[in-house]
Amino acid sequence: MSDDGEIVVVGAGMAGLVAALRLAEAGRRARILAKGFGATHLSGATIDVLGYTPAPVMSPAGALPAFVAEHPDHPYARVGAGVVEEAVGWLKGHLTDPRYVGDLGRNFLLPTAAGVCKPAAVAPQTMAAGDLRGGGPYAIVGLPGLKDFYPSLVAGNLALATTPAGTAVGARAVEVDLSPGGRVDAGPLGYARRFEDPRFRADFAAALQGRLAADEVLGVPAVLGLAGAEQAWEELEARVERPIFEIPTLPPSVPGLRMFTVLMAAARRAGARVVIGAEVVGVETDGYRVRGVWSGTANGRRFYPTAALVLATGGWAAGGLVMDSHRVVREPVLGLPVTGADDGAARFLPGYLDHHPLATAGIAVDRWLRPVDARGAVLYDNVRVAGATLAGAEPWKEKSGDGISVATGYHAAMSVLTEEG
Amino acid sequence: MQTIETEVLVIGGGATGVGVARDAALRGFATVLVERKDLAEGTTGRYHGLLHSGGRYAVKDPQAARECAAENGVLRRIAADCIEDTGGLFVTTPWDDVEFGDRFLAGCAATGVGVEEIEVGAALVREPALNPDIRRAFLVADASMDAWKLAWACARSAVEHGARVLTYHRVTEVLRNGDAVAGVVTVDVRTGVTLTVRAQVTVNATGAWAGQLAALAGCRPVDVVPGKGIMIAMNHRIVNTVLNRCTMPSDGDIIVPIRTVSVVGTTDSPVTDPDQLEVTQAEVDHMLDEGEKLVPGFRKARALRVWAGARPLFGAKEPGDEKTRDITRAHTLLDHRQRDGLDGFVTITGGKATTFRLMAEETMDLVARMASPGTDRPCRTATLPLPDSEPGAYYAVGSRLAQRERHLLDDQLVCECELVSRRDLTEALDRRPTANIDDIRRALRLGMGPCQGGFCTYRATGILHHQERLDQATANRALLDFLQERWKGLAPILYGDQLRQARLDDWLYQGLLDVEHLPAAAGAP
Repeated sequence: MSDDGEIVVVGAGMAGLVAALRLAEAGRRARILAKGFGATHLSGATIDVLGYTPAPVMSPAGALPAFVAEHPDHPYARVGAGVVEEAVGWLKGHLTDPRYVGDLGRNFLLPTAAGVCKPAAVAPQTMAAGDLRGGGPYAIVGLPGLKDFYPSLVAGNLALATTPAGTAVGARAVEVDLSPGGRVDAGPLGYARRFEDPRFRADFAAALQGRLAADEVLGVPAVLGLAGAEQAWEELEARVERPIFEIPTLPPSVPGLRMFTVLMAAARRAGARVVIGAEVVGVETDGYRVRGVWSGTANGRRFYPTAALVLATGGWAAGGLVMDSHRVVREPVLGLPVTGADDGAARFLPGYLDHHPLATAGIAVDRWLRPVDARGAVLYDNVRVAGATLAGAEPWKEKSGDGISVATGYHAAMSVLTEEG
Repeated sequence: MQTIETEVLVIGGGATGVGVARDAALRGFATVLVERKDLAEGTTGRYHGLLHSGGRYAVKDPQAARECAAENGVLRRIAADCIEDTGGLFVTTPWDDVEFGDRFLAGCAATGVGVEEIEVGAALVREPALNPDIRRAFLVADASMDAWKLAWACARSAVEHGARVLTYHRVTEVLRNGDAVAGVVTVDVRTGVTLTVRAQVTVNATGAWAGQLAALAGCRPVDVVPGKGIMIAMNHRIVNTVLNRCTMPSDGDIIVPIRTVSVVGTTDSPVTDPDQLEVTQAEVDHMLDEGEKLVPGFRKARALRVWAGARPLFGAKEPGDEKTRDITRAHTLLDHRQRDGLDGFVTITGGKATTFRLMAEETMDLVARMASPGTDRPCRTATLPLPDSEPGAYYAVGSRLAQRERHLLDDQLVCECELVSRRDLTEALDRRPTANIDDIRRALRLGMGPCQGGFCTYRATGILHHQERLDQATANRALLDFLQERWKGLAPILYGDQLRQARLDDWLYQGLLDVEHLPAAAGAP
């Protein structure tokens, strides 16, 4: 790509943020145009790379070569296992508050708000002590007014778990009667703002005084502050003199918001521009190239010329893929063909937890993440597709959503930068 | 094995069954009701929620029209709390015969159905989303009715008058004493415990399942053809008046605004098994296309959920022989002593939710003659309001919001879509302990809004687990069962924003919570 102009990234979720940040730090002018915030606000904020194939994955690095061989249409197969590892390592360097730990060599097994230990390759430091390998015993702390976290449910399921080494796990619930201003319906954000106040943290620690066994590991809902979470977490650990770990709640996700804030700030520092509330409503093309995009805002339409376009608009959940009442499927920005959503076969199966055929539908791409048609011919030379828009994955089952977004967002940027294609 | 004795045994906990139980209890009979699932879990809880004015049957089925018109007035007196006084419109769309309106007016006049023809402009002022090309409009006393609330109110009233209501009790055997039915053997499907109920008179109020129960009793076949009807709930009040096409009753010609949604219905096709009601893509598309005729743009609205109910239609020959819509909607009461020489056994079937009370009254008139001949025990259900109902004090769509606003600071919102609070939930569990979130849904509408349980499934599980002290496997089962139950009604209508919502819910339950690896999930059936 000889043109040194601005590169538009459509979408402000994980894939879009990663692509824009990577482009900007490489010195390219990058601009995010997004209809709204992305799935970071729903995310548990661990970087899940590969958790189930469907057998539990202990080491993503170890499992990926076989996985991509068995799933040739998977986004990981497009970018290659090496890029996945490189991209996640790169991302980890940018995640600062809190810092992230772990790598693709071994999955953490971190308790969810349902008490299931979920595999995650990389996790915020504030969550790592929950790793099932530690074996607990766990004391799971509940807060009144927080309806998106049930400590007895978490503890009950943890108590049924065994560590990978086969030892039983102890777990119990502890209720702390502390809520922001006595509110009965505070929510994760209400608590997070209060936990930024050292006095509230002191009250929280005091309320646990004398109620914990010496060897217990303390699981708390992931509400330990939006900003300064790492410091709050360290201080609380010191106060209660035990390891503490956060457990993601239902959205809005406090750790997801932290991750978004950190990546957005990094992208902006690196020179990227970000326009949220600017849905892309049209594109101008010139043969096999996109020349620019139209955004629609409350203030009217605006044209952004672009040297290349990274499409990171998300999947069905985000509106990056849509289906109308006649079951016609569409990729709304460029009108790219959606593969795997054929009318012929049943799109959904009877069991909620089944592998539904529609789940893997999306945009087919080549190894540079350029969109291709059914015969594999590239549709736009200067377009890259990243994240949940891509075909071939079932991320919520594989526990691969963050890994796919990070690896493909990173690879999309690298592909633009190295002028491949 | 435990045995209980009663005078009247009612089998079936739909509107008809609870109506019969209430009627019997109010007449002073010792009464027991057994239901294989939860109350109103069959046809009663699976209809569009219309309280008929009678207009729908004014031309085609005058007897049904007359009964509906009369019972509409009765229910407005005794069950106002279950009714929203929406009013109804019959409209002539470009696809309908303008002349039919004259036959409609004549039919209404002949059957006592109150009707007034209004200007098309007035109809459009009242319902701006209505197709502007309609040519005639008629105002009637249609309303929407919460069938679950109605069934539970009847059951409560029956219990207050001494009846026993046993849900989740499935009949495994009908006891015979020579040429008489003497009661039934039931099994509690939750515990496996069997219970024998001996009764002077057994009432078969199992609706579309009446043929199955009659076969258990060993009488001649009772020919009830389940007529499948599908309904789709759209995510908001597209209209606030019941809309009907002014034509002969057909598929997809009615939209009922009820609670927070608008329901389009329905279809009619004979099936062999009322427990196997599959919804096809073609049926869904047909409903959407027909909805489009009444409300242009209907297809762009968000469909929340689809379900199917089985009408009990008596008198058809064999499934597939004929269209079941042509069978009368009036009900059928069978005295098996006269019909089959089998004493102590009565079947009530057919009918519709609007006429459930009348069906109960006629049934109990017969049962009273059988159980206590020569005594006068008159029916009281036409005048005695149900618990919590005052004549004229209708449910209003904003009632729940008004109630919530009074408690915003001291109560937690567990289901934002349907405004269910934590106190509502814990009180419902106090009244009726359960380990089944679907029971809570029918009591409170939990999980019935746009997110279809996306947030409240987890919350309800957490609260249920805590309050009912469920063991872990049972709690996990409750969560997974409810997700499955919601999925059943979602899969056939997943497109547009509801597809988007369903994928979001997948992220929450599978991506974030990893429920497929809950300890109970491994051994899931």
